[in-house]
Amino acid sequence: MNAVVLIFLIFYYVVVVAIGFWAVKKGGAKDLEGYLLGGRQVGPLVTAMTLQSTSMSGYMFLGGGSAGFTTGYWSIFYASGDIGGGVVNLSVIGRRMRKLSKILGSLTSIEYLEHRYPHAAVRLISGVLSVFLLFFYVLAQFIAGGKGMALVTGLPYGAALAIAVGIIMLYTFMGGYFAVAYTDFFQSLVMVLGMVWIFTATLIEVGGFTAVNESIAKIDPTYLSIWGKDLANQYAWSDLLGAILIFSVGYMGWPHVVTRHMAMKSPKTARMAGVYSTIWNLFFVTAPYLLGIFAIVALPNLADPEMAIFTLAGELLPAAVTGIVMAAIMAAIMSTADSILLQVGTIASRDIFQRFFYPKATDNHMVWVSRILVAVIGIVGLLVALFQPPGIFSVVIFTTSVLGSAFMPAYVCAVWWKKANTPGAIASIVGGALTAFLFTKLNVPMNSMLGGLIVSWTLMIVVSLATQKSSPVADHIIKAMNEVVKVGPIPKEMLAKSDFNLAQEANGINKKIDKD
Amino acid sequence: MFGLPGLTALVLFGFPIFWLLYTLVFFLKTRNWVDDSENEGGKS
Repeated sequence: MNAVVLIFLIFYYVVVVAIGFWAVKKGGAKDLEGYLLGGRQVGPLVTAMTLQSTSMSGYMFLGGGSAGFTTGYWSIFYASGDIGGGVVNLSVIGRRMRKLSKILGSLTSIEYLEHRYPHAAVRLISGVLSVFLLFFYVLAQFIAGGKGMALVTGLPYGAALAIAVGIIMLYTFMGGYFAVAYTDFFQSLVMVLGMVWIFTATLIEVGGFTAVNESIAKIDPTYLSIWGKDLANQYAWSDLLGAILIFSVGYMGWPHVVTRHMAMKSPKTARMAGVYSTIWNLFFVTAPYLLGIFAIVALPNLADPEMAIFTLAGELLPAAVTGIVMAAIMAAIMSTADSILLQVGTIASRDIFQRFFYPKATDNHMVWVSRILVAVIGIVGLLVALFQPPGIFSVVIFTTSVLGSAFMPAYVCAVWWKKANTPGAIASIVGGALTAFLFTKLNVPMNSMLGGLIVSWTLMIVVSLATQKSSPVADHIIKAMNEVVKVGPIPKEMLAKSDFNLAQEANGINKKIDKD
Repeated sequence: MFGLPGLTALVLFGFPIFWLLYTLVFFLKTRNWVDDSENEGGKS
């Protein structure tokens, strides 16, 4: 079986790399906007698919299955919010963020925050916080990749992990948003195909939906309760709200996800992208949790809940089909990992190194700072994943809670509230992140995402209102926000020049990539 | 329904229906977005 599965995986990698090279050539980074945002030429279907495949990581195949297997139908609350995560993101901030980022000339989601809330501290805090949190998020992808590779190849976890991390790193060095977006598009198709296939096969194997639920009831009827196994979460309203919010509104605070809005071909792209996102989510999002629940019956002796979907695929499907499912799992992992690593490299090189340490940084410096940081993340991530691998579910929930709590009010208010100012944004980002972090670490009996959001929203509103006189929102930002509300082309005189005067730097990055 | 308690079935099937309706309303309410930025950088 392993040989056939490996052949499928190798074929899959070849296709992904080929699409990546094609996209690099087609999308060619003619300027910095081309490199970081695909020249803002990404249409609705690819926008929706890169948004979703970046949002849905290896967590879905490992953490989602594990949550279903261990808690039963309680885990469905995570999917309940997640189905609408894409369309909420696109409908609330998609069109407006695309427009405002264009007017302000922002090329990264962190730079955008500094342009909207003008102060160096906004960029420094946001950049450092993002790099720190995204490291943990990509760590979860490494662990997922290592576990999957170990199962497919039969290699020890350590060796499989090294191979998985190596593939992800090499693939990421290909670079550029356009390549990432188009490979994400292909990977999203593989992900949904694999998910639908394993879901259908498992449903047939367990005798249908009613039959599997009846079998679960014989093992332990509380698995079927929406309050979870042993009714452990009965009336735990804050956990319930947190589970729904984390993947419905939380995505609006993820820097590597909201970048997708800035790269859209036009503001109207958000409309159809929202529709495509929901359709894709309906087929993909609930299935992993249900598969974990089905595994209670199909795999009663499963030792590692995170391996539920891997094991179902290995035991129930013919080798060729298992190969497709394994490719889908690796697609989920890689499509998230490449986006995060690109984002981390961008933040490190442009938002931190060039902005604060070396404004005269050349194209060569930028490329190397980005690559060194990606390499360091790879090595440190490899060591942590090898010696002290945390649970994927807990890492992803922790990271996404802190990211969502820190940045969601800042990104939403950036386009919806003209009184949102710099002190409000700083207080909101710091307060939201600290609250979510401390709630998790101190085991505060309130969901960390919910607590973080309450604090970050409160701080944004209270501090902004209290500092309107001392820190008024600049006139050019008010004008830009007035323009963002309107539906119609942006007047030429409002477009920033900064997109284009950095073309030399981008050309250098592109040449460097071509040369390597 | 499907051997599930009523509340579980409501959550399992209710949320997808809610998001479908949300998407439909979003799609219909944003018909004017097609006018957005056909000529980005055009005259005011």
